[in-house]
Amino acid sequence: MTLTTKRYIVAALSFLFLASLLVVAYHESKRHRAEERPGPVVTAANRGCVDCHRKDGPALVMEWEHSRHAQYGVGCVDCHAAEKGEMDAWSHEGTTVSALVTPKDCARCHAREYEQFSRSHHARAGEILASLDNVLAEKAAGMPGNIADAVNGCWQCHGAIVKFKRDAQGGILRAGKESKPVIDPDTWPNSGMGRLNPDGSKGSCHACHSRHAFEAKLSRSPENCGKCHMGPDHPQIEIYNESKHGIAFYANRDRMALDREKEWVLGRDYSAAPTCATCHISSYMTPQGIAVANSHDVGERISWTLRPVISTKLNLVIYEDGFKEDYPDTRALPKVGDQAQTVEKVVENEKLISKTVPRKVARVVTWEDRRKGMKGVCLNCHNDTYVDNFYKQYDDLVVLYNEKFARPAQQVMDDLTADGVLNPKAPFEHNVQWVFYELWHHEGRRARHGASMMGPDYTHWHGMYEVAKHFYTKFLPEVVEIAATKGPALRQKYEQKVRQLLAQDAHVWQKGLKPEEAEALRKMYRERYNQ
Amino acid sequence: MTPVERAGQEAGLRGRLRALFPFDWELLRHAGAEPVPYHLKKWWFCLGGTVLYLFIVQVVTGIALTFYYVPSPAQAYESVAAITREVRFGWYIRSLHKWSANFMIVAVFLHMLRVYFTGAYRHPRQLNWCIGFLLLGTTLTFGFTGYSLVYEQLSFWGATVACNLAAAVPLAGPYIGYFLRGGPEVGENTLTRFFILHIGVLPTVTFILLGLHVLLIRLHGVTELQFEGEEAPEGERHFRFWPEHATTELMIGVLLMYLLTVVALVFPAGLGEQADPTRTPEHIKPEWYFYFNFRLLKLTSLQLSVVLTGAIGAIAFLWPFIEEWLSRRFRMPDEAPVIVGVLGFLGFLVLTVWECFAA
Amino acid sequence: MREADRTTRRAWLATALMGAGLAVSYGTLAAQALMFLLPERLKPRTRLLFAGQIGRYQMGSVQSFYDLQGNQILVKRGAKGFEAFSSTCPHLGCHVHWEAENQRFFCPCHRGVFNADGVATSGPPADAGQSLARVPLQVNEASGVVYIEVKDVKGGRT
Repeated sequence: MTLTTKRYIVAALSFLFLASLLVVAYHESKRHRAEERPGPVVTAANRGCVDCHRKDGPALVMEWEHSRHAQYGVGCVDCHAAEKGEMDAWSHEGTTVSALVTPKDCARCHAREYEQFSRSHHARAGEILASLDNVLAEKAAGMPGNIADAVNGCWQCHGAIVKFKRDAQGGILRAGKESKPVIDPDTWPNSGMGRLNPDGSKGSCHACHSRHAFEAKLSRSPENCGKCHMGPDHPQIEIYNESKHGIAFYANRDRMALDREKEWVLGRDYSAAPTCATCHISSYMTPQGIAVANSHDVGERISWTLRPVISTKLNLVIYEDGFKEDYPDTRALPKVGDQAQTVEKVVENEKLISKTVPRKVARVVTWEDRRKGMKGVCLNCHNDTYVDNFYKQYDDLVVLYNEKFARPAQQVMDDLTADGVLNPKAPFEHNVQWVFYELWHHEGRRARHGASMMGPDYTHWHGMYEVAKHFYTKFLPEVVEIAATKGPALRQKYEQKVRQLLAQDAHVWQKGLKPEEAEALRKMYRERYNQ
Repeated sequence: MTPVERAGQEAGLRGRLRALFPFDWELLRHAGAEPVPYHLKKWWFCLGGTVLYLFIVQVVTGIALTFYYVPSPAQAYESVAAITREVRFGWYIRSLHKWSANFMIVAVFLHMLRVYFTGAYRHPRQLNWCIGFLLLGTTLTFGFTGYSLVYEQLSFWGATVACNLAAAVPLAGPYIGYFLRGGPEVGENTLTRFFILHIGVLPTVTFILLGLHVLLIRLHGVTELQFEGEEAPEGERHFRFWPEHATTELMIGVLLMYLLTVVALVFPAGLGEQADPTRTPEHIKPEWYFYFNFRLLKLTSLQLSVVLTGAIGAIAFLWPFIEEWLSRRFRMPDEAPVIVGVLGFLGFLVLTVWECFAA
Repeated sequence: MREADRTTRRAWLATALMGAGLAVSYGTLAAQALMFLLPERLKPRTRLLFAGQIGRYQMGSVQSFYDLQGNQILVKRGAKGFEAFSSTCPHLGCHVHWEAENQRFFCPCHRGVFNADGVATSGPPADAGQSLARVPLQVNEASGVVYIEVKDVKGGRT
């Protein structure tokens, strides 16, 4: 090998060496970018709690350590500290604490979110306690002395009124060496969304923001909402799972930036799919390039109410003190500055009562405004023709349900009550009442929800099909039957009513299809199934 | 004329500067003009240079690491962790140091094999063989003390075993053990001692030995060899150290840097469990270059393995003299040393591989 | 001695390439080694720690917190808004405390007095023209929380 050759080889080898050093440099820079997650900070005030509870409930402490609260040094005492004299407070190892952390406690730091949440339907979820649903749980399924169905069922989603055990004088019972107030075991544990707390606040933040890690990625995930928003009467999670939105989510979960701290904006931080939070709460980008702030008032972008027998559009009246009231479009809207007598449900003496509070109207938001808020989310992925046409499809379904089935059925039920056939004090006495209940509360809702969130199977087979089938094959015959129990005159009256109903355009198909339609039907089955 | 006088002869600024440091640069040129025999063009003969280069890498990376390493039992492990995880390019410098150590030991073994099988230890080069053998000793001790400094479980317990072995040397054993440990058992003093050995005593001894080793090569000249059937072409019997041979050494050097970097990237130096003096791990193993010794220990007993190692070591150390004495006493066939060497190497290999695959 | 290779263009190119290669590669290594020897951040990493809720600070009141190294920090709400001071007296390292009735910081060791801005007005620290060290803080009006910015300790566990 000549000297020159050797020198070329050295040159080649040194460039190879250089290349390897560049890989080293790349490695080094990548290593730097992965910043270590800051560890938990235990302050002096929390040291005692953490040291003891690390043995007595270690997983709870570990979850807290994993939270962002811990990164900032926000610990046990910061949330669980209570004032002496509060109903649920007692002195524990030298500190006055309360096990119950209510939205008011969270509001110490999260004031904005509390402001929005406390005015929302989520906070009011516990107000169903005087509804038919509660009657079913407490009376139909439960019995005197044991309303475990309500306790384990309804209240765990909707929230319970948190109560205490009382002594003979009505004071709160205290037990144990710490004189801890004895909570009514039927009402705690309870993380229901609309829990009615002893401090007067409504709701429970940790219904969505599970403690003690309070992970954003849990709250943003659809499964979180699915704990309550599921089932025969409001299968939102099932509909979401059926829909393309849900499919897109589950296929792209790792692209959803669910863990992103602070802001989580559709159209900026993620794009793969919407979750429940995306449409109903979270931030999204507008064409102006601004991110609309998120809002914990889940009703802000809702234009229809799909809950009642007959759906209505929802306007919103906001009062000066922030109190919000949904106004169905059948109700005349007040003007800004008007005085109104608002009805509010509050807990007094551990009972839910209605209170009339005079308030002044500060703002009126129409259902169109609310829908615009929702459309803003849609427009991140879909164009306006798409969105507007969707809303027409959806509106039409709700109107179909309303006009063909809900209104006539409600009318008949009202007539039966007026005629003394049904006793308003006995809502589930007769079969027809159950059938009607499920017609609007179960399949009727499924149909409407299915249309609202693009779940075609829920809209039709679990929805309108069952509405139609039960309406024709169960409800109408039951109406006649129950009327008949009160005498032949009423039977005739209701048979007439049913006949008149079925003669309408919408229902006349029952008599028979047109000859062309029937022939087409027969032909289709012959060709497809050879039958 | 003395160099000072010679320098004083030169006029002007150059002359004045020369007078400040009147070194005869001609001497260096002469030293570098060593005629290198033809057979050194073979790669086998560059192993000595390889060891030297890797030693320089060790010195440089070692000094760098000393900027961050803390030799106290409470902080040693953490400081190594900090180097590996936090200091910029810390993982790279540490991995270079670790792999260069391993490469260097391999190169030392191969260099020794080469010297042995080419008979380059024979008269008058016996002394250089002995110095080389001592250099093997310092290299292995470097490896051992260096690894112990990391203060992982294996470091700590490996050091314990090794100190016990040293203490088992007949007569001087207990004193050696006490000296190494700095006390009756491995503790705080041990780490400090190993540290001083590693960065102070051993480098000094090695520098001196290396200096003597290279000086002796230069004084004796490289052993002239001719391989069967190979005749150096006319006019190419010798070639120059500078620039030809130096460039060859440079090739090797850069190649080694490249290989070391690649290995550092693919197999970066990791960190095991921190040393826990109260908990002995189930399996203690020394570094791979001590496997032969460890296997020997397991096959025999503490005393016997120490004595055997000592005996074999002594024979190896004094081999040039032993071989000379034997060839004068008996009629040895030419292949005899080769067979001895092959057997010895195979023995080492077998014991090492056995230990490697043992539980 | 054979004559050296004639300095043909080819030979010169080889030398030049070799020199360049060696310089660049070993130079990079030297640069990386230099980066290794220089301690990393010139500015220490910081973290935000919770320092109370706005709503719980009376005007002219002080709350006490600790950084990750155990140093006490006093957060004051005053006319100028929220300010945070180290409680270590610059004189000889005792801890000052806030006297709400006098709206001043007081050091009991040698009776050093600091005004509401942390500037020494009386006692040995005043003689030396010293002030309490300031600690950066952030106020989040929207959520009503005050944060102090402290030096991050590796891992951050206290």
